[in-house]
Amino acid sequence: MMRFLLLFSRQGKLRLQKWFTPLPERERKKIVRDMTTLVLARKPRTCNFLHWKDLKIVYKRYASLYFCCALEEQENELLALEILHRYVELLDKYFGNVCELDIIFNFEKAYFILDEFLMGGEVQETSKQSIANSIEASDMLQETMEEYMSKPAF
Amino acid sequence: MSPSVRLQELIRVIRSARTQCEERGVIQRECAAIREQFRQNDNGGRSHNLAKLLYVHMLGYPAHFGQMECVRLIASPRYSEKRIGYLGAMMLLDEKQDASLLITNSIKNDLSHSSQYVQSLALCTLACMGSAEMCRDLAPEIERLLKASNSYIKKKATLCAVHIIRKVPELGEMFTPSAHSLLSEKNHGVLHGAVVLITELCERNTQTLDNFRKAVPELVQIMKGLVMSGYSPEHNVAGISDPFLQVRILRLLRILGRNNDRASDAMNDLLAQVATNTDSTKTAGSAVLYETVLTVMDIRSESGLRVLAVNILGRFLLNNDRNIRYISMTSLLKIVQTDHNAVQRHRGTIVDCLKDQDASVQRRALELSLALVSSVNIRSLMKELLLFLSTCPPELRAHAASGIFIAAEKYAPSQRWHIDTILHVLTTAGSDVRDETVPNLIQLITSASELHCYTVHKLYRALVTDISQQPLVQVACWCIGEYGDLLLKGDCEETEPVQVTEDDVLDALETVLQSHMSSPATRAFALTATMKLSTRITENVDRIRSIVSIYGSCIDVELQQRAVEYNALFRKYDHMRAAVLERMPVIDKGQTNGEMSANNIKDLEQTDVKIPEVPLPSNQLCLEVCDLLDLLGGSEEPLQPSQAPPSSVPTPSSTGTGQDLLDLLGGVCPAPVPVVTGVTVYEKNGLTVTLQCDQRTETSVTVSLLASNSTDSDITSFSLQAAVPKSVQLQMKAPSGDVVPAHGAGQVTQTVILMNPNKVNLKMRVRVSYSSQGSFCQDTAQIDSFPTTAWS
Repeated sequence: MMRFLLLFSRQGKLRLQKWFTPLPERERKKIVRDMTTLVLARKPRTCNFLHWKDLKIVYKRYASLYFCCALEEQENELLALEILHRYVELLDKYFGNVCELDIIFNFEKAYFILDEFLMGGEVQETSKQSIANSIEASDMLQETMEEYMSKPAF
Repeated sequence: MSPSVRLQELIRVIRSARTQCEERGVIQRECAAIREQFRQNDNGGRSHNLAKLLYVHMLGYPAHFGQMECVRLIASPRYSEKRIGYLGAMMLLDEKQDASLLITNSIKNDLSHSSQYVQSLALCTLACMGSAEMCRDLAPEIERLLKASNSYIKKKATLCAVHIIRKVPELGEMFTPSAHSLLSEKNHGVLHGAVVLITELCERNTQTLDNFRKAVPELVQIMKGLVMSGYSPEHNVAGISDPFLQVRILRLLRILGRNNDRASDAMNDLLAQVATNTDSTKTAGSAVLYETVLTVMDIRSESGLRVLAVNILGRFLLNNDRNIRYISMTSLLKIVQTDHNAVQRHRGTIVDCLKDQDASVQRRALELSLALVSSVNIRSLMKELLLFLSTCPPELRAHAASGIFIAAEKYAPSQRWHIDTILHVLTTAGSDVRDETVPNLIQLITSASELHCYTVHKLYRALVTDISQQPLVQVACWCIGEYGDLLLKGDCEETEPVQVTEDDVLDALETVLQSHMSSPATRAFALTATMKLSTRITENVDRIRSIVSIYGSCIDVELQQRAVEYNALFRKYDHMRAAVLERMPVIDKGQTNGEMSANNIKDLEQTDVKIPEVPLPSNQLCLEVCDLLDLLGGSEEPLQPSQAPPSSVPTPSSTGTGQDLLDLLGGVCPAPVPVVTGVTVYEKNGLTVTLQCDQRTETSVTVSLLASNSTDSDITSFSLQAAVPKSVQLQMKAPSGDVVPAHGAGQVTQTVILMNPNKVNLKMRVRVSYSSQGSFCQDTAQIDSFPTTAWS
């Protein structure tokens, strides 16, 4: 299973954090610091896998954002790269040519999409179209309720 | 700032703050406003406020006051509020917070909500942060959803069930029946979830595992369908149909086929098909192939298939993509023990990877190269490894150095080669080697008597070039002290002769003594070496005398003590100097210090003065024992605390003055020759502890406990504790060390004296504690009868 998924910028600012195991706040902050240091220190043409404690860290850089996840020992690292790529594709489809600002200003939507794709550290749905449909339907549900209540969402 | 400012506005304001201080100010004001709003129970803006709070939380600011608000929002009937409430719960609440229990009821209600999207929110939150309590409460609900719902909910319920099993393994039985039926679903999401669920169930319970073996044909069918099916736009990734599902199925097959011939047979064809048909130009295909290879190597596959798998790994090794090279080396490392020859074929490529720029790839290549060392390829491989050592990143140096030593020890084609290799390592990575290297190397040098001349020349040259690498300097000083006469003679068949005068040698040693780079131990070595040279050189004895007397007032206690003793050796005991500083005999590897030294100086016994037994110095000081003078100086050192409860380490009554030289020199009790036969006291995990009886009198027994290790890795933190019946007194000497080297390369010895004045039946209980292969073990063994000595 995936233990956590982090998105951070080249300056080390956290843009999204998803934890699949219960950890105290202090522990989480420390892990974020460790990950950003480790990943940002990597040279450009090195492989995307690292070893940290007893976990395998898989990271990939997309434009100005680093997508970094931690796997347990028996997981397939190459598949994790595919998972990260799939998530980026989902974001891209939703926001239309996604960039870091989209994720900053609409972080809650990024989380909703992630929650449709991964659950409990495992892949939930393998079809891109299906996920896109669910997100759309949920957004519709939210909007119609808001229109009814005549107030904006956030 | 208006309290109901929108989220995006807030984000903009925070980002435009120019300093950290300004940002903090903005956030503090906003949080105060949010807190106020939460208290007022304002209906309209609640979701805005929580969203703002979650953003602030992600920046690293405290947001615990939002927890109750999450609970309230989850209970709200509006979808938008539920959505943000559940998100807040996943971010702010975890099972350690009390507030998390409060949402259990809301989740329960939402699990039966009419809208599937509300149900999905509840399922997602439960799978993310559900505590064991919550899982127990809601498990029946989840089970219901597994069976009777649409596929959207089914797939989520399945993963929720996986989480429940992880938290509360006993509930696995509840989900086992439904898990099997889920395999007949068509929806890939549900199928994937089902495979994950079955994997989880099988990993936790062997009975369930046996049960699910009958699902192997079904899984094989599904897999075949995926591999052979035409292009399916919904699931296609770079030409592979649903790689996520394929990898998961392969992993499940691996677990089911492990150690089971029938199951392995059933999947042989499929694995061969996947291995040959999968296109590995893109990562997705490589991921599937990688999983296939792992599965083939783990189950009882036929040899043709195994060869195919190793060939795939070999192909991966040549791939341009670094990721693929990395994982191929990781897999090769796993199989190098079992399929050694197959991996040997790729040795060339692996050695090339040592030169890669990527540290992860280099690390894997290093581990694999060390595993591939054999007596056949030792020379060529060692050349590469030494080259690597000089250019490798610092974090890998210690690992590389110790690996090289182990390999050299196992497969050295000649002693000279072995010594050369060790010297090479010491000059390139001297500061990263382990402490035992120095005594080991010295032992090796003494045993290669025909190479003394060659060795001392080489070491002298190394010393003159560079005195910063402590282990090298220590060995060099010892050798120069010991074999200085060979160095001064100047002619040596094996290397170019170099004219070294006595002054040069003394200059070198003095440089070491005075340099600030030398550690205290190194300086001690250098001082002793200088002293030893006084019998091996002819002209500059006065210079030595003056050096030694200077250090008589040195601040370092060890140096001062030595210098004072050597001074005494010059003045009062000059007649003994030659005998004391004689050439050392060959050291036997693995013997305890006490016994060895006693054997060696038996002939030097001058008087019959009765002296207390010299306590065994610790492993780190074992080098001291090799040098006779050091034994005399070293025995005054504070001893390692011994482990037994009623322990009393006898300290020698003397302190460092010239008087003691005589006492200790004459008085070391000759330890009896150790009895070859011993009783095995404890044998487990490759660790064997035997008991040998050294001496037996009417009222006391002296025994030695020897520990040896037959596993592949060293046993560390080894310690023994002993207890005896009440009337018996126990005295445990310091053990010879606390690391038991692998493959029986050495032993740890501990002497125990039992005083039995009442002559009761002797029994002893020994507690062994050690760390082996990463895990800590503690065991007790009972010794009911003590063996008699061989010669009593």
